[in-house]
Amino acid sequence: MTALLLDSVTKEFGDKRAVDNLSFTVRDGEVYGFLGGNGAGKTTSLRMVLDIIRPTAGRIEILGRAPGRENSAELGFLPEERGLYRTMTALDTITYFGRLKGMSKSDARREGRALLERFGLADSANTRVEKLSKGMAQKVQLATAVVNAPRLLILDEPFSGLDPVNQGLLEAEIQRLAGQGATIVFSTHVMQHAERLCDRLLLLAQGRKVFEGTQDEARATLPARLSVLARETPVGLPGVIQAVEMGGENGWREWDVRLAPGGDPGDLLQACTERGFALRRFEQRRPSLHDVFIHLVGGEGERA
Amino acid sequence: MTNPTLLVAAREFRQIATTRSFWITLLIIPFVLAIGPIASHFMEKSQTETVMLIDRSGQAAPAITAKLALDEQRRLLMALSRYSESHGLDRADPQALWARHDRYYTDADVEAFVRSGGLDHAEHVMRRVAAPDTPPFDKPDPDYRIVPTPPAIAAANPAELGHILPALTNPPKKDHGAEPLDYAIYVPADFGSSRAAVQIWSDGPPPASLMGALQDTLTRAMRLRFIQAQGLSRATAVQAGEIAPLIAVNRPPQGKGQEQVVIRSILPLMVSYLLLMSLMLSGSWMLQGTVEERSNKLIETVLACISPDELMYGKLVGTVAVGLTMVAFWIGCAIAAAFATQGMIADFLRPALAPLAQPTVAIAMIYYFLAGYLMISMIFLTIGAMSDSFRDAQSYLSPVMLVIAMPFAIIAQAVLHDPSSLGVRIMSWIPIYTPFTMLARLGAGVPVWEVIGCGVTLALFVAVEVVLLGRVFRASLLGGGSKPNLARIGRLMRGREVE
Repeated sequence: MTALLLDSVTKEFGDKRAVDNLSFTVRDGEVYGFLGGNGAGKTTSLRMVLDIIRPTAGRIEILGRAPGRENSAELGFLPEERGLYRTMTALDTITYFGRLKGMSKSDARREGRALLERFGLADSANTRVEKLSKGMAQKVQLATAVVNAPRLLILDEPFSGLDPVNQGLLEAEIQRLAGQGATIVFSTHVMQHAERLCDRLLLLAQGRKVFEGTQDEARATLPARLSVLARETPVGLPGVIQAVEMGGENGWREWDVRLAPGGDPGDLLQACTERGFALRRFEQRRPSLHDVFIHLVGGEGERA
Repeated sequence: MTNPTLLVAAREFRQIATTRSFWITLLIIPFVLAIGPIASHFMEKSQTETVMLIDRSGQAAPAITAKLALDEQRRLLMALSRYSESHGLDRADPQALWARHDRYYTDADVEAFVRSGGLDHAEHVMRRVAAPDTPPFDKPDPDYRIVPTPPAIAAANPAELGHILPALTNPPKKDHGAEPLDYAIYVPADFGSSRAAVQIWSDGPPPASLMGALQDTLTRAMRLRFIQAQGLSRATAVQAGEIAPLIAVNRPPQGKGQEQVVIRSILPLMVSYLLLMSLMLSGSWMLQGTVEERSNKLIETVLACISPDELMYGKLVGTVAVGLTMVAFWIGCAIAAAFATQGMIADFLRPALAPLAQPTVAIAMIYYFLAGYLMISMIFLTIGAMSDSFRDAQSYLSPVMLVIAMPFAIIAQAVLHDPSSLGVRIMSWIPIYTPFTMLARLGAGVPVWEVIGCGVTLALFVAVEVVLLGRVFRASLLGGGSKPNLARIGRLMRGREVE
């Protein structure tokens, strides 16, 4: 089943096009990464999904319905820019947002207490937010997003501003909710988080989709790179487009080898064996998502 | 499941109700009501002024003293007359002078009052018919008291008096232990001749009542001398001096006419003022809350759960509830003070609360109060949504406050003077002033067609305002950057620019 669908969605602010003909699908139970540089259109897209703003064109479907507040009972949202009511207590804050999402007061309070306990804030349940440390307030903010055990959790740059402890807590919470079957969509420009968490991802640049697929599919868009220790240059072997000597000793030299896009390192190894090409090391280098991002988005990833 | 609008309203209410400023504001009126009579009792300063007479004629001082005493008895008689009329005591002796409210009391009337036993006798007679809860008569302080003339001053010549007396009536340094002297009057032996002026020393312009008494007494003595010089007997001359017309005073009974307009306008004017005051306070609290939501980046989290309209209406309902709570509490305190206590404040409040006894007036007052609250709160709310900080908000708020609050003093004055004057009626039809003006006018009576017409106009204005400012509110919630200028606000109102 589809948890989220965007079909040819465009959003314009005056003469500025923030999202341009964007289409993608998030399946039920997926952890879906929404990647892009600053100003790529990530926040605007998520705001349209939440019905905070309306698209100029296109269709959005969320949990099988049109965007609207009637979905809020099954939604969790953690915005990029976060804040809380300073004079409310931690528990009251979580309860308030739980009730805004349609929970009963008793359910919201019970769930709020359980979350505070899990986040190590049980003793601060009745402390005003203004008296909490920044890290504690961040945990309360996360609790307000997940108090209703959402079917779809949308996180906009969730790791920005978090200390390492809270980043770990958030990752654990995402994995816990995903384990319970929730669909999670999160935007980020920090690729390490996406690498650890995403089943599939989407790359945005200047409001346009530049890639959608699994991490492996993303990596496949980059030419394969190998580190080879050989006596001779690998240039001329099938599929090799470049080999740069990196040093060596005793007659053996290290080569940084690039294959043609779509080239398979296994085919190259087979060719070396068949031709008697002497090798002491044949090591495939796995490209990171960061490399993929730079490759696909390049200079247009960032907007002024 | 609770309506999100009510959840927002309840949160707004709680947030405001937990602030110290809310409680200080709420308790300030009962505090004033409780402390007012006590404070006024302790702070009450005697109004009696002292007069020293330096009489070289030998006849003027007793005559002036007698005249001031007579005038004092006249004031007493007039106060008794009002007291008797207010408490329905005329029936104790309908023929008594204090039971006759249709005349200005002549000297002969006052002398007759004194001869009949004066205040003591009048009180004794009134007590026979007075209800047990009738407050006692509060005898007014005399205006003037004659102080003895020290021998040194009595013997001083006019030139010396010119040095001594200014130092007494206008001392360079106030000596709180010494008895103050307000006026010193020097009457030369041959007063009335062109070379012998009567002289007065004082700290400021002498009051008309003292000057009147002095002039009347000395003029009467001079006329007596003149008439006697014409060969008439002293008795005839005295009789001629006592000739005075009987002046009938035709006025509505006490508490009616202009007096009624003033008294019955007090509560509506107070409600109107309370509307203004509580609006400014609760509006600024709400504005602070909205600015906090924007500056704390809370808005997006809230808008993911509820619609901008639910947020807007929730805030309006919460703020109106705060305002109504404050005003209901204040009016409750006023009613308690009026009917559970005795004294000056109760006497003032009881007739002022009379308009509330008429259901139509009470309903109209509640309607105009609520509509006024909605109208102004909506402005505050929109300003809050457009501002990233309270300083930003101030730049919008100051001109708005000026436009709303400035005419209030004029309205209050105009309503007390003539509640149906053209100016006041025109103000009633300008929606932004309708609640204040109509609230202020209701006590004195407003034609039904005007109450309904102004009410409908106001309702239409509020509806249009909610639609137009609602657009600005929605579009501004997530907006950042520079504050929108008037042109952009206009475009937002027309819906030409969204988000």
